[in-house]
Amino acid sequence: MDPSSLNSAELERFLNQEKERAMVNEMVAKLTSACWDKCITSSPGSKFSSSESSCLTNCAQRYMDMSLIIMKRFQSMN
Amino acid sequence: MDSFSSHSSMGSGSPQMSSEDFKDQLKNQLAQAYAQEFLETVRDKCFAKCITKPGSSLSGSESSCISRCVERYIEATGIISRALFNAPR
Repeated sequence: MDPSSLNSAELERFLNQEKERAMVNEMVAKLTSACWDKCITSSPGSKFSSSESSCLTNCAQRYMDMSLIIMKRFQSMN
Repeated sequence: MDSFSSHSSMGSGSPQMSSEDFKDQLKNQLAQAYAQEFLETVRDKCFAKCITKPGSSLSGSESSCISRCVERYIEATGIISRALFNAPR
C-alpha cells in the first residue's frame, strides 16, 4: 500500500471543505468586528448587558437579511 | 540522492508525505493564520476602547479594561456565530 498517495478526488474534497470552513470563519470575524463597533459603545464590562448581547444577535441577523435583499435587487437588475 | 520515488502520485517535484500529514499540516497552518488575524483584531478593538489617552505606563484601569475587552470580544464572536447558524427567519 502506498502511504503517500493523495488521490485528487480526496484532495479536492478536503480542500473544498477547508475553503468553506475558512469562508465561514471570515464571515464571522468580519461581522463580529462590525457589530462590536455598532453595539459595544461604552467601555467593556465584566459581562454584556442584555441590550448589548441582543444588539449583537440582531446585528448579525439583520446583516443576513440585508445581504438577501441586496442579492435579490442585484439579480432583478440583470 | 533522488528522494522522489517512482510511485509518487503527486507529480514530479513533490516530496513524499502521507495524506494525513498533509491534511494535518494544512489545517494547522490555517488555524495559525486564523489565530493571528483574530489576535490582531482584538488588539485593534481593545486599544481603541481602553487606551484613550496613552500615559507613561499602563494604568490599573487600563489593564483591567483590556482583560475584560478580550473576554467580551471572544464572547461576542460566539454570539455572532450562534446568531448566524441558529435562528434564520
